[in-house]
Amino acid sequence: MFQQGLWKQFAAGLVVAVTALGGGCGQQGPYPNRAITLICPWAVGGGTDRVSRFWADALQQELGQPVTVVNRTGGSGAVGHSAGAHARPDGYTLTTITFELCTMHRMGIPAAPTFDDYRCLLQINADPAALIVRDDAPWKTLDEFLAAVRDGPTKLKMSGTATGGAWDLARAGLLQAADLPTDSVIWVPTEGAAPSLHELLGGHIDVVCCSIPEAAQNLEGDALRALAVMSDERLEEFPDVPTAREAGVDWVAVGWRGLAVPKETPEEIAALLEKTCRSIAESDEYRNFMRKQRFGVKIRTSDDFTAFLREQDAQWQSVVQSAGYARE
Amino acid sequence: MPWLLGMIFGVFVGATPGLTATMAVALIVPISFYLEPNAGLALIIGVSFTAIFAGDIPATYLRIPGTPASAAATLDGNEMAKQGRGGLALVIDLICSCLGGLIGVGILMLIARPLARLALHFSDFEYFWLGVLGLSLSALVSRGSTLRGLIAAALGILISTVGMDVVSGVPRYTWGSFELLEGLNFIPVMIGLFGFAEVLRNVTASREMAAPANQAQQAGTTRTAIRQIWKHKWLVLRSAVLGTGIGALPGAGADIAAWGAYGLAKVTSRAPDKLGTGSYEGVIAPTSANNGAVAGAWIPALVFGIPGDAVTAIVLGAMMMYNITPGPRLFEAGTQVQAIFLIALITQFLLLPAGLLGIRAFDWILRLPRRLVLTAVMVFSVVGSFAIRNSVFDVYVMFAFGLIGFFLEAKKVPLAPVILGLILGDLIEKKLRAGLISSSGDLTPLFTRPICAALVGLLVVALVIVPAVRWLRTRQRVATPSDG
Repeated sequence: MFQQGLWKQFAAGLVVAVTALGGGCGQQGPYPNRAITLICPWAVGGGTDRVSRFWADALQQELGQPVTVVNRTGGSGAVGHSAGAHARPDGYTLTTITFELCTMHRMGIPAAPTFDDYRCLLQINADPAALIVRDDAPWKTLDEFLAAVRDGPTKLKMSGTATGGAWDLARAGLLQAADLPTDSVIWVPTEGAAPSLHELLGGHIDVVCCSIPEAAQNLEGDALRALAVMSDERLEEFPDVPTAREAGVDWVAVGWRGLAVPKETPEEIAALLEKTCRSIAESDEYRNFMRKQRFGVKIRTSDDFTAFLREQDAQWQSVVQSAGYARE
Repeated sequence: MPWLLGMIFGVFVGATPGLTATMAVALIVPISFYLEPNAGLALIIGVSFTAIFAGDIPATYLRIPGTPASAAATLDGNEMAKQGRGGLALVIDLICSCLGGLIGVGILMLIARPLARLALHFSDFEYFWLGVLGLSLSALVSRGSTLRGLIAAALGILISTVGMDVVSGVPRYTWGSFELLEGLNFIPVMIGLFGFAEVLRNVTASREMAAPANQAQQAGTTRTAIRQIWKHKWLVLRSAVLGTGIGALPGAGADIAAWGAYGLAKVTSRAPDKLGTGSYEGVIAPTSANNGAVAGAWIPALVFGIPGDAVTAIVLGAMMMYNITPGPRLFEAGTQVQAIFLIALITQFLLLPAGLLGIRAFDWILRLPRRLVLTAVMVFSVVGSFAIRNSVFDVYVMFAFGLIGFFLEAKKVPLAPVILGLILGDLIEKKLRAGLISSSGDLTPLFTRPICAALVGLLVVALVIVPAVRWLRTRQRVATPSDG
């Protein structure tokens, strides 16, 4: 009895599902008339995933169609970015693009997409890299730290992510901008910012290079402090942390996120999405969400965003090459 | 009662292969924002503990681990199910999950800070030895020929080298495919090796496998379960403490904790040969440890504000949405931490009804005819492999490893060391190389760092002294050498 009932239920469910699917495909009307996918190239639970889920929710409310986040992870972001770039350009697949879009195609990742494969909609976030040390570290400023790198008796140990990852490139660029060879510190590879900070607290490494939100909770305590932040200007939340520029090192390294659709997406659809995204980005809900998550808000509209990505692509090309990670 | 509902949700997500505890928590977090902070946290904490337990349900019944932390349950748990004692295995599993969780939370409440300080001493070389210790235990974990166990472990290590190398940033064995850049995801590998291989074995078997006897709860199941757990109470305690300790390390999680406890059980067991044949000890140890590890992961999260694993990372994010800043200050402030502890404790008791419901719900699968069960395994295998990162490629990986698993089992090569090699090989290699980069190639700290030295000592005890003592004892007991 139980089994039969169950199978009947199952069959009924199947019929409903198939009908719904069929109905969805047959539906006509102005865009959007069916569910939209937002590809997140990074894993569930990470920063990009959290931001993507906020946007999926917000887009769903604005567009009146379900928006689901699909995590397509792998290949240091290559899998998701590639899937997003090569999706059908009909406005039903959006992608949360990230920093790695400008670096991975230089680092031996086969057939990696570039920003040129996308029609960028909006930049939604930027988090600068920062140098973080233990509170009892001997260096009080970036200058003192760079002097220790230059003249110290032993090489200092740094970490923050994998070899060739975003923050490894950020510190390589910083050293380069300070006229120091990129191998003048030891980069100890780790799985990411959290284990690096643990190693830092344990005294196994000297400095962590990672983004401010990744370390925010620790910076608010008194065990760790930031020497410098690699942004254009000081951050609102951490007004005491000077920028690298203030210390005379002309270097900016920012991790960013944005929303994009495939290049060939029809202009009227892209324009509609852009408008929608812009109004979400201006909402209080978005500002609140980002503030609570300690993420920085940086909005660049389509043209500015594309121009910014072009600059980024060039900036990182030189760092990737001089750090010896370039593989074509 | 969103709490209990959340836990039931946790049971189903955890019990679905390919949907991990991390995903369960990530999916529930947006819903929790509609609740007040404590109710929301209760929901999230509830989901994380239940999902880890629920992963053992399909591992026991179908030999497909629901979450990575349940891989060890495919050994004795599944053997017990084959002997028609699956219901009993799961009731034991459930009670030990609660106990493991309780012990873990107890440790969290009492000695979180000293333990967190101790964990700070763990760097690359310590992780390396921990991995070596785990892998050596795998030689003990595998039954039968040591050579075959070694082959299996070596295969696992080989598989673990596929993908982008974190240490040098160079892709290895990827043959130009970027799906392979992240390496072979070990969930499809595991589902293939265990689940799909099992289907193949059944399909090709000349006669229909004897259908397992009624798995449903027979009268007295609970009493037997409690009696067995009481008999092995120290094992529960040992495993949970070990699990909590491993969970507190940011570089190791519930999956490694479960295997570690299994290995420890094997070393300390009076009847080590029974492990792997459906013994109570083999069920109790890993499940006590993995729920302990869930609590352990909270230790660095609460003491330093550094997430111990992906689940706590998500929860820390959620806490910030409630305007709670995790980290040292939260720990010192008190009330909020008390609330979290209380929630975590009550969760362990709620796990019992939620878990029983889950066991019942999956029970019906086993009452179906064998061929329908196999179909269900196939469906779960394909869906689970796809779901882990929405990739069809992973489904192919699952099929390929199903064939490999089938072949290996036909040649009597044990499968558990393959999984251990895959998980630990990666850890061992990365940590050794990162450690050597850090020490500029100097090998001495590998032995002179205090915790390293202690781990090496343990290794010697586990690999040399324990077997030697055992050998001497059996020699004394058996006057004339028998066929054993």
